[in-house]
Amino acid sequence: MNQATREKGRPLPSSAFAGLLCLAMLAIYLLKTPSAITLAGITDLLNNTVVLALAASGLTLVILAAELDLSSVGVIAVSNVIVATLSTKLPSGAFISLTLVCLVGLTAGLVNGWLVAFLELQSLACTLGTMIVCQGIALLILEAPGGEVDGFIMNRLTDTVFGVIPAAGLILGLVVTGWLLFRRTRLGIAIYAVGTDSVASRLTGLNVKGTKLIVFALAGAAYGLAGYMLSAQTGTGDPRVSNSFLLYVFAAVAIGGTSLGGGRGGIIGSVVGAGILTVMQKLLFALGVAEFYTNIFNGVIMVVAILFGNLSAIVALRQRVITGRHKNSQYARQ
Amino acid sequence: MRRFQWCLTVAVVFTLISSDNRLYGQGDQKYKVFLDMSYSGNTWQAAAANGIKALAATPPYDKTIEFKTIISGTDVQKQISDIQSMVAAGAKAIILYPLSPTALNRVIQQACNKGVLVFTYDSTVTEPLAYNVSNITARYGSNTAQWMVNKLGGKGEIIFNHGVAGTAVTKTYDEQAYAIFRKYPGIKIVGDFYGNWNDATSQEEVSKILAAHPNVDGIWTVDGTYGSLQAVIKNRPDRLVVIAGQSNNGYRLMMADPALQPKGLQGISSSAGPAVGGYAFKVMMEVLLGKKKLTGHNVEYPLPWVEAKDVKVCSGDRFENGCNVFPEGKVPPLFLDTSLDPKFLPELSLDAVQTGNPTPGATIQPLPEPKYAENLPGINCQECKAPADALEPNLVAPIPVPK
Amino acid sequence: MDSESRSVNPGVVALKPETITAFLVLLSAVLMMLVMKLLNPTFGSIEQIAAILTTSIFLVVASYGQGLVILLGGIDLSIGVVMSIAGMMIAGLTNGSNEALIWALPVTLLSCIAIGLVNGLGVAFLKIPPFIMTLAVGTAFFGVALGMTAGSSQRTVAPALQVLMSARISGIPIPIVLICGFLIAGSLLQGRTATGRKLYAIGSSIAAARVVGLPIEALTVAAYAMSGLCASFAGMLLAGYSSSATLDMGDPFLMPTIAAVVIGGARVTGGKGLYFGTFAGAIFLSSLSTIITVLSLSQGWRNIIQGGIIIIALILQTKQWYLFSMVNRRLTGKRPLYSVLPQNSESQL
Repeated sequence: MNQATREKGRPLPSSAFAGLLCLAMLAIYLLKTPSAITLAGITDLLNNTVVLALAASGLTLVILAAELDLSSVGVIAVSNVIVATLSTKLPSGAFISLTLVCLVGLTAGLVNGWLVAFLELQSLACTLGTMIVCQGIALLILEAPGGEVDGFIMNRLTDTVFGVIPAAGLILGLVVTGWLLFRRTRLGIAIYAVGTDSVASRLTGLNVKGTKLIVFALAGAAYGLAGYMLSAQTGTGDPRVSNSFLLYVFAAVAIGGTSLGGGRGGIIGSVVGAGILTVMQKLLFALGVAEFYTNIFNGVIMVVAILFGNLSAIVALRQRVITGRHKNSQYARQ
Repeated sequence: MRRFQWCLTVAVVFTLISSDNRLYGQGDQKYKVFLDMSYSGNTWQAAAANGIKALAATPPYDKTIEFKTIISGTDVQKQISDIQSMVAAGAKAIILYPLSPTALNRVIQQACNKGVLVFTYDSTVTEPLAYNVSNITARYGSNTAQWMVNKLGGKGEIIFNHGVAGTAVTKTYDEQAYAIFRKYPGIKIVGDFYGNWNDATSQEEVSKILAAHPNVDGIWTVDGTYGSLQAVIKNRPDRLVVIAGQSNNGYRLMMADPALQPKGLQGISSSAGPAVGGYAFKVMMEVLLGKKKLTGHNVEYPLPWVEAKDVKVCSGDRFENGCNVFPEGKVPPLFLDTSLDPKFLPELSLDAVQTGNPTPGATIQPLPEPKYAENLPGINCQECKAPADALEPNLVAPIPVPK
Repeated sequence: MDSESRSVNPGVVALKPETITAFLVLLSAVLMMLVMKLLNPTFGSIEQIAAILTTSIFLVVASYGQGLVILLGGIDLSIGVVMSIAGMMIAGLTNGSNEALIWALPVTLLSCIAIGLVNGLGVAFLKIPPFIMTLAVGTAFFGVALGMTAGSSQRTVAPALQVLMSARISGIPIPIVLICGFLIAGSLLQGRTATGRKLYAIGSSIAAARVVGLPIEALTVAAYAMSGLCASFAGMLLAGYSSSATLDMGDPFLMPTIAAVVIGGARVTGGKGLYFGTFAGAIFLSSLSTIITVLSLSQGWRNIIQGGIIIIALILQTKQWYLFSMVNRRLTGKRPLYSVLPQNSESQL
């Protein structure tokens, strides 16, 4: 039985709806706040988003592999205090602290990955443990907010490159490009396979444990990078972890269309999800929403965004059934 | 299905665009003033915010300013984003509770460069262009520790109740208190925990430590004092402690209770009070309206200091005639008596700090000249040095070390 | 099957592996305390143990609801907020009088059950991931409570509640008696009733449960409502204990409920876990926090030790499954069934 009917058009990936929502919110916000339609305004917006987007990207990889990772805020805190204590004390401190935080993040990720993949611990609980340990390490390095971040990091990374492109936007662009290339590699496809059905993947010969290990390690590196950008935003170190930020990271991933059960989604959606959460704050402010209503709106908008995403998944499923022959990979990945 | 979603999106967008856009005032000459809270949902923050809101609605300020409250939450990047939003919306003055002494410096600098007046209350920032109003420089740690040592005669067992770890306040006060306690070899700290300024947590932890050290003589706290004392009263009612801490109404009543004092309860009621918010607001407004020019950027709000003998129960709704505590049942036991300040904030009444409504018939009274604060590096200034005696008490004279 | 050469001891096989896990967790808690007592003789008196058990009641009660929800493969992130709301409500409604308890108690319980219902409806019918739904609901209701109370602490809690938490029956503090009663009731409800077993079935395999015809949506809603109920109990007890209530008093309890459930042996993907295990996990965490306090270290080291011990507890718990299956195989000659079933790693979070 060959192709029955021509497909009426590929259904959009679930991140498309997140993208729509984000654009709509952005449009309303910019209409309400004309002073934000400047390069400075857009730069500010991107600066506000970049840390959440990087952390959400890292978390996406782990969630795609059907695991959970609570340690993002811990690694971010450690990276932040490392940059704040070392970047001004070492020569070419900006670059050295960058490598250092990526290494630190990688190590934390490797520890997580080893615990989850090889010792077979439950990822929720053991990454909760590593988060608490990371927070402890951050407090040992810097016991109160302070420290100093190197001028290059603080000024250039929050500014524009060549006076036109915001540096944060460039970094996000690199992340998205990297993802588009990565997801077509063997490792990228392996992550989806492991997330969809790890037993079947193992039986077909995929190295499930190795894949999970690498996934956690990459996520850790992403968190390290997020902590580096946090140092750029705040210009200082702070050993405390923000529990609300942790929940925002998960919300960004879920709103972006990645299924928390694994196997479906992508980094693009998470970056968009981070954008939604950031613009939402600005939008609620611009609309003049009274202070305690912001919490209620936060909650409602998160649910609505997920509902949108869910509807798209149902649409995708229905279209897949209708058109008969389908190409699996294109529906699952974005 | 997809068409339905498109329609829904368009409908939502249309509704939102056409919503009332009150933020851009209709040509009034009112100043836009914002209150930016970070933490919310606890007694202290609520009382401070209510005080500020009540003052903002008290004549003549209610006609002079357009006042709005924003809650940024506990994520520092959200606070940065909100401050940028406020500046973009045309704020003339912002009073805020900063989440970090250093992380907001850049955005505050940007705001100040655009002509916005930025004031902080209680928690401080190190940005030189901002104004800090706080009693963090009033040496709470040294003074209360010395007071306790004096009452204990220089020896005894102490429980140390830290605040929230990783904050500049906790680091400063802990440093001061430890410096004093270490001078007296007879003073032993037998247990310490992080009460996180939370009364329930403090009560739990003190019960556990008390069970292991039944001869504890004193408890040093910054907050969570009521809970700490409750633990002692419930577990060792016949032998109470020397305790230093907050100014909760219930705690002050217990301090002055003639039934508890013979059991050994000696308390000092101090610690940062929510009225600092209202005071900072009034100072900011006076600067905004040109009535005052500040020569320094760090203003010190006096440290509350009430001992058992100073406690006087109020008969009405205000702190007048020297009274400083409400009778039991009039307010919840955790109500902070330092939400009211009869000297600097006569416009505030009990109802004002509980609901945020202005006191009927009150008008804003002028403030005396402010007292400027000393330097605390990392707290309210960047390139500065602390005074040489920064760890010494300045309200209590130390007793000599016993042999 | 070597039934001639070996005598099968049904008692050992009949014992569920989860019960062994729970016992081991309790044992580790006791071991930790013994080690501390050796290092620090003032530690570990009866008074202190009583204090530890008394203060663990909040976690014990709140973790029950979390355990039920995790059994289904979900999670409840609104527990902290619901505890605070319950505490604020009972304090505000009773305002120091015992008579008001008669109507204040049901009103508080019903309101919190309603919050749980909202969670359950969203998860069961709107198919929103539990992580997001409970997070969103918690955030939203925190906003509602903040708007209604402005966060200021409420009136005095009814004296009866305060007495409940501080009085003793023949020398034993009432909360300890309550814990034991709750443990028995909770275990029976979860493990021995038909409803409880249906929850296990749904958690193990939703597809199979659907085939069998179990009312999945109804049970999901019921589980989340139950979680709201337990959180409200915990909140009211906390208000009685501290004689006051604030809107952030439940926050320190959310992460520990998750940790207690998982340390107690439950699988986050659902389908496995006894309440006895969660209970043991709660006691373990309470003892751990006390020990950390006694060690008088800076907060940084406290965190490192706490996180490290959680990970070690998890490692021991996983490894003892292998130990148990080895022991079981020696004794009975059979391979335990669960070791050949594929690990269903599909999380519904």
